Amino acid sequence: MKVGAIDEYSSLSSPFHRWDPRYKLVGFLTLIFAFSFVRDLRLLLAVVTVTVGIYLVSRLPASYLVRRLRYPSLFLLALVLIMPFVSGQTVVASLGPLAVRQEGLIASLLIATRFLAILTVGSVLFGTAPFLTTIRAMRALRLPGLLADMVLLSFRYLHEIGNDLQKMQTAMKLRGFGGRSVGLRNIRILAWLAGSILVRSYERAEWVYKAMIVRGYGHAPDYRGYFHARASDVAILVVLLLTAASLAAGQIISGHASGAT
Amino acid sequence: MHIPDGILPVPVSAGGYAVAAAATWYSLRKINQKENPREDVPKAALLTAAFFVASWIHIPVPPASVHLVLNGLLGAVLGYFAFPAIVIGLFFQAVMFQHGGLTTLGANAVIMGLPALAAHYIFRLRNLGDRWNRTKVAVLGFLSGSLAVGISVAIFIAVLLTNLPSQLDAPTEMTAIYALAIAHLPLMGIEGVITTMLVLFIRRVRPTILDGV
Repeated sequence: MKVGAIDEYSSLSSPFHRWDPRYKLVGFLTLIFAFSFVRDLRLLLAVVTVTVGIYLVSRLPASYLVRRLRYPSLFLLALVLIMPFVSGQTVVASLGPLAVRQEGLIASLLIATRFLAILTVGSVLFGTAPFLTTIRAMRALRLPGLLADMVLLSFRYLHEIGNDLQKMQTAMKLRGFGGRSVGLRNIRILAWLAGSILVRSYERAEWVYKAMIVRGYGHAPDYRGYFHARASDVAILVVLLLTAASLAAGQIISGHASGAT
Repeated sequence: MHIPDGILPVPVSAGGYAVAAAATWYSLRKINQKENPREDVPKAALLTAAFFVASWIHIPVPPASVHLVLNGLLGAVLGYFAFPAIVIGLFFQAVMFQHGGLTTLGANAVIMGLPALAAHYIFRLRNLGDRWNRTKVAVLGFLSGSLAVGISVAIFIAVLLTNLPSQLDAPTEMTAIYALAIAHLPLMGIEGVITTMLVLFIRRVRPTILDGV
């Protein structure tokens, strides 16, 4: 499995690329939570419009989103194929022995749309700035230093340890390991493969730590003054927060309305 | 076993974040009580990446294959670094592979992370008596591996059960959930066996890893 390059289009130019990453994190995450709050079908249309608008403004290529959808599309497919047939009482159509139920249809439509909208906005959030800049922004937003260090270091070594695994698996294949048959012997070999990955990483960490000490590790950089927000950064944040608040308010009002009827 | 975005209601995902934040805060507090907390950061970080990579290894279980969860071993080896490690791993999963989700990160961290902490406490029983006794290491390895996955499945199912959309056909959903639970039983056994093999391997090759980060 290859580590997906989330920030390969971070060098493009768009209002979201130029947006202060701290504000971007706050704005998009609030919007994402507002999306997951929506239960009303009419508001779903607003969610789709906002999402499409954000993706268009971000200027990220469509292929980027399609690639990120490859894995979750299986989950979506399962949802759309199963839910309408198993949940609810109101039958709206029959396909042979199967009955399509309204509640299931609505539930799968809600879940699928919310899921796609959140995934799309998340892709814009992490796709419009280098990943390291986003982590710095989290640090500036008071993410504990120890956590930030762990994120940066594990991100840095994820690719290399992934390559180690690939090389070891190739070496195993060359030596005739099929791995398809089940047996304690095969399971033990795979466990040892995992063990070797752990031991190698542990040993590498000892060297990494020494190298880091030599370079002055232990004096945490202060990122509070690293980012500078302009008026336009604040303006985009206000627009997004208002959008999120309107969606939440719309949902609360429609919830009350449907509760009253 | 990761809950994707769009399924959980906001109070539940927010609750997940609250519990995850509390567990992270508690773990960081325990870590910061050490003499030099930063010394262990590179080891914990690289092992986090290594556990992440190790979870890509597929174990053949006919007719399909399962991937390793390893949250039990993660707890046993990383100790109080386990919960932050799981939060980071799930964050990478959500951002890079669209597996799990951003709004459900807290809930998923609770599902995977609390059992890892439990595994840490189970494996720590090793310190009673001879800590390098082979049988003891093996038995505690099995227990932490299988119980961690077991508890994860239990929390996962509990979260799903309490959040079923009300208009859904309850018996059908219950059947699906029970089927899910039963389907995970062999996984508990496999995780237990593999965790045992792994701790015995580490005990032989690089025992200091078992002393914790």
